[in-house]
Amino acid sequence: MSVFPYPEISKEELEELHQLVQPVEKFFNEDVDSKKIDHEAVIPPETLNGLKELGLFGIQVPEEYGGLGLSNTMYARLGEITSLDGAIAVTLAAHQAIGLKGILIAGNDAQKAKYLPKLATGEHIAAFCLTEPGSGSDAASIQTRATLTEDGKHFLLNGTKFWISNGGWADIMTVFARTEVVDKDGQKKDKITAFIVERAFGGVTSGKPEDKLGIRGSNTCEITFEDTKVPIENVIGEVGGGFKVAMNILNNGRFSMGSAGAGMIKRLIELTSEYAGTRKQFNRSLSEFGMIQDKFATMALNAFVMESMAYLTAGMMDRPGVPDCSLEAAMVKVFSSEGSWTCVSEALQVLGGLGFTKNYPYERYLRDCRILQIFEGTNEILRMYIALTGMQYAGKILTGKIKEMKKGNVGVVFEILGKKLKDLVVKTVDFGLTGKDGVVHPSLTESAKMFEQNAAHFGSTVESLLYRYGKTIVDEQLVLKKVADVLINLYAMTAVLSRTSRSISIGLRSHDHEVLLTNTFCKDAHFKNNFLLTQLQKKDNDANIKKIAQEVLAKRAYVCSHPLDRTF
Amino acid sequence: MNAPRQLLRIQCIGCIARFLGTPIQRMILPTGAHLQTPGSQHNYGQLLRPFHCSAVCSTSRPSQTQLEKTVEDETLNKDKGLVTHDDLFERAARDTKTKADFNRVVDVFSKKDIRRRGHVEFIYAALKKMPEFGVERDITVYNKLLDVFPKEVLMPRNFIQRMFNHYPRQQECGVQLLEQMENYGIMPNVETKVLLAQIFGEKSHPMRKYQRIMYWFPKFKHANPFPIPHVLPSDPVELARFSLTRIADDLDAKITIYQYPSTDITETGEEVMRPHIVGIQSPNQRSLLAKHNPCRPVFVEGPFPLWLRKTCVHYYLLRADPIPSEEKVEEEFDPEMIGLEQSLFYPQRLELDLERDMGDDFSFDVDDVEEGPVYAMCMAGQGDQVTLSQWISGLQETCPILGQIPTVFRLESGPRELQTTSDAQQTPEQEVETDQIIEEEPLHSQRVKQ
Repeated sequence: MSVFPYPEISKEELEELHQLVQPVEKFFNEDVDSKKIDHEAVIPPETLNGLKELGLFGIQVPEEYGGLGLSNTMYARLGEITSLDGAIAVTLAAHQAIGLKGILIAGNDAQKAKYLPKLATGEHIAAFCLTEPGSGSDAASIQTRATLTEDGKHFLLNGTKFWISNGGWADIMTVFARTEVVDKDGQKKDKITAFIVERAFGGVTSGKPEDKLGIRGSNTCEITFEDTKVPIENVIGEVGGGFKVAMNILNNGRFSMGSAGAGMIKRLIELTSEYAGTRKQFNRSLSEFGMIQDKFATMALNAFVMESMAYLTAGMMDRPGVPDCSLEAAMVKVFSSEGSWTCVSEALQVLGGLGFTKNYPYERYLRDCRILQIFEGTNEILRMYIALTGMQYAGKILTGKIKEMKKGNVGVVFEILGKKLKDLVVKTVDFGLTGKDGVVHPSLTESAKMFEQNAAHFGSTVESLLYRYGKTIVDEQLVLKKVADVLINLYAMTAVLSRTSRSISIGLRSHDHEVLLTNTFCKDAHFKNNFLLTQLQKKDNDANIKKIAQEVLAKRAYVCSHPLDRTF
Repeated sequence: MNAPRQLLRIQCIGCIARFLGTPIQRMILPTGAHLQTPGSQHNYGQLLRPFHCSAVCSTSRPSQTQLEKTVEDETLNKDKGLVTHDDLFERAARDTKTKADFNRVVDVFSKKDIRRRGHVEFIYAALKKMPEFGVERDITVYNKLLDVFPKEVLMPRNFIQRMFNHYPRQQECGVQLLEQMENYGIMPNVETKVLLAQIFGEKSHPMRKYQRIMYWFPKFKHANPFPIPHVLPSDPVELARFSLTRIADDLDAKITIYQYPSTDITETGEEVMRPHIVGIQSPNQRSLLAKHNPCRPVFVEGPFPLWLRKTCVHYYLLRADPIPSEEKVEEEFDPEMIGLEQSLFYPQRLELDLERDMGDDFSFDVDDVEEGPVYAMCMAGQGDQVTLSQWISGLQETCPILGQIPTVFRLESGPRELQTTSDAQQTPEQEVETDQIIEEEPLHSQRVKQ
């Protein structure tokens, strides 16, 4: 998988995309009343019908089954528009990105032919049922059981799932339950299996919709299965192979959060700059004040980076074969969810008190944004995943060398000392990004050099971390958090460098602005990375933080005496 | 507060008197603020007389209470025998000794003699008698006692007196009073400071001691992270609840009262005392117990003492022996659940061959001893097998596995009175029993009767 050049789509595909995008944009601008949806916590049926007619319920379903059959890149592009209303975006995503994805990627032809057509047109709505009251991030503690009946033709499903998006309306559900499997050794083990469950099978009851802070239009509720009969033809993949199916589904849907966030921020920039340009205080318009300008720059930078990362990842996923982009998708998700939250907050801040009222959409955007950091894998879990995947990969390569170092092999020690001295004296790192045959455009040389420097420093830091902790680094979450942050910044820098190089080379409109954004972002990210890497070299507060947390949690209260207390 | 204002007044008047050029001979009395003018020096023999002028005592005699009569008797009947100040306190209250009685004695002494003769011995006697009257922790009583000292008399008036330990006995007495305050851990008042300044002056030994107390005591006040209140609950169930939470130190642990103390009368007319049984168990202990192997026994051990200041309570444990390392079963990790390609939750283990470096390896701790699990604790009114079996059956309701695990009672005989020789001859056979150790009771301790 190469990151340079930036992935492109052909001219025909781009034309087709434009044809699709226009009516969708029109629909969202005119026929979607987000305020009413948020207030009444329900999406009106006319809106749903409109979405169905536009084909938005089967964007990635192949055309033979009645869907639009679009690629990941185009799905991301449409995601930019649907994100204008959070509830609708989540409903659609729950339906297709996770709900029917299971059938799409792991189902056999019979299942596809049976279910996909109706799902693509939106006649049936899909939902993804994995989370339970006792298992949110820890999917290995699922309690829902599926037992085989005596005739061996059905499974009886028993259990409860909750926080299921579209749970109240869904007709087809992808349910994950434990089944008893006899493995090769003859031992009986519990493994997870994925089932396609129709509401028509009976025994499926939905609870009442949850009253949520944001995305109130989306229906989230509890689903209980009581002896639901599922025919064995409805098993997705094989019995006991549900875990891999779940992982593939979840990995596939994450990247679109980048473009969704970017779309929302672009819209916010339009609305907010309108306000900032017209409102006057102290005889000057708001847009002339430095702090307001700072906010707009933040919003622009975030949107730029988010869409670069999202489309880079989508492009990589669209390459032939089935490339595993789960790591990149996770990085996109973490960056976008946190970036969107800060940007919406800043936009609200520009409007001040007005932004706080319900008359303006900012508070709705803020509330809808909060869920981004929680669903589809909480950011904490994903950071651990990002860091540990990297560590595993690096560990395999570095194990030999580290073991030699620990044994105290004199030759190796001298070699390392020599390298350290050389690094102190001569500070050039060259990975070949810039220069005569470099892939990065010469205007971005400085940013590219900063990136290379960060990457080299990061490499040596990872080595020292593995030396210090070995495989017990799994327990050092504070260290891994910093590692993950550095990785996300590095990937973001790569994405922007790649995109801007392409823009300059082909001469896109406003490519000089892109150069400006890239250089700014890379400089900021460079400093942040340096700070994180310095902290990782033992100069951090982790031990103190852990100690504070231990004392507070032991008492389950604030520990200090009140400042006004006296002893005599 | 009157005391600071009085201090201020004294200082002002001292200044004024010096300004006026007259020696400060006539001083302000503690009660009332009469200032004898310099011109009336020839008023001897009257009611108000300055302390440090020796003169014949001729006080008038208003009506006296019984106590005052006793005090009078004591001073007038000196030749009849030595009557100590201690007897004053004895005679003041024979049955119940209260703070009011104590205060009364001190008042009588203060009012009896304007010169406060023998105040040093009186204060020493009072300090000794304080615990009997139960006022040893009361700062107001100490201040009242300090008030017995005559004011202004004991202060040094020039640098020579300051150098040479002016009024050494009185200063030592003041220091002893503060020492007793310090021993009982009582923080002095601002009133104490004012009194000490009035009595001894700023650079005296008692004042120095007060300053030292006030330096250290605030620092030590909250030094104990698990303080025991001075007044413990008297109800045995409440006391048991307090001590069990103290031992467990776990916010999740829950107390269950299996039986309240009560007395039943059976058909035969006998009284059956049912003791209290209070148990504690946390959810972690419950899950550990659920995982206990039924082939291994659990032991009920006890009683173990727990001292709370001067009271000793006893508790019993339900524990098991640690599993020898050969038999420990490692939880198997399902490689599919905790592998590496999953992203719903991050990999729980890395497939690497690298261990932790020595500099970051904090796994060894000398205090970390491998011990068997403790499943529950309880406190009971009687430490016999019947009561504790009741506890176990109560526990069984929440931990059904106890029904299958063999329970062994390893009880030691609880605290008993020290046997005299006659009792020892009568019951030698009771002493020979397996698994029992006779405990000797240390004297001078108050215990909750088991």
